[in-house]
Amino acid sequence: MIEAVGAWLEWVEALPSSTAIRESLNGYPALLALHVIGMCLFAGLVLMMDLRLVGIGNRRTPFSELQRRLFPWQMVGMVLSAVTGLILVYGQPTRFFTNIFFWLKTVMMILAGVNALAFHKSTYRFVARWEANPILPLEARSAGVLSVILWAAVIVAGRLIAYNWWELR
Amino acid sequence: MLRPFFDWFQQLAFSVAFRQSTWMFAVIDALHLVAIAVFAGAILLVDFRLLGAGLKDRPVAQVARDAQPWLVGSLIVLLLTGLPMIMGNGDKYYYSDIFWQKMVVLLVAFVYTFTVRRAVAAADEGRLRPFWRRATGATSLGLWLIVAVWGRLIGLL
Repeated sequence: MIEAVGAWLEWVEALPSSTAIRESLNGYPALLALHVIGMCLFAGLVLMMDLRLVGIGNRRTPFSELQRRLFPWQMVGMVLSAVTGLILVYGQPTRFFTNIFFWLKTVMMILAGVNALAFHKSTYRFVARWEANPILPLEARSAGVLSVILWAAVIVAGRLIAYNWWELR
Repeated sequence: MLRPFFDWFQQLAFSVAFRQSTWMFAVIDALHLVAIAVFAGAILLVDFRLLGAGLKDRPVAQVARDAQPWLVGSLIVLLLTGLPMIMGNGDKYYYSDIFWQKMVVLLVAFVYTFTVRRAVAAADEGRLRPFWRRATGATSLGLWLIVAVWGRLIGLL
């Protein structure tokens, strides 16, 4: 099974389009730069929303307003970093799939996504009931704290991919 | 001109230890990136608002006042994590054009943010034509975008 996946990744990596990304002199740095810009838009604005949930930032703006006004920009950032991220992985599949930080980042992203989705399907549905409270309900604050921790972990793990200390083989 | 200064700080005990450690640079680098995300959030809230997007139901001054502690706090973390990276690898940065370009734009962006942009964001909305608010937001966005992209490129070129 592992051998089959490994062989497939090597096949992908040998494709001309994958090689072209890997060896592109300007394309590769451009992808990395765009990935960071997408991160700034997405994570930056998600964190600004989280601070409001936790109750330590942007306190004069009701939460639903932050959600409504920032969501479109967060999505622009997410699409930008997702697309550039996928292209980067496509350019060096064996490098990423054998890197422990890549998997750590992937797991943290899934957890962060689950946390956001759970919050929106439960606590956020009653936002009108609680957003005027001076201290937001525990569920909202916990979702905010979790989001900060998980997205920060995504960023840290993402940066550490470059320092391949434990190569998986 | 700065060569003696770089020679001096590179051989400090801290710089040598930082350079020789396998994990210190990586950890500081990762923290630097987390601080960039917070800083970007605080910058974007205000610049988008100045451009008439994002939190447009709020007064500019209020958005700016709420973002300020996070802007300043993350900037301090950025400096505290940025400096050791330079100290540990002085030569690499001294001979990097991209690094010096980032430093010049960073200085301009820093001064601009805490003078012009700050004053425009705090000004009464009736006193200033929307054009000037938009121009201020766009300039800030452009300057900080260059700082972020050039920062990413230092490690590559």
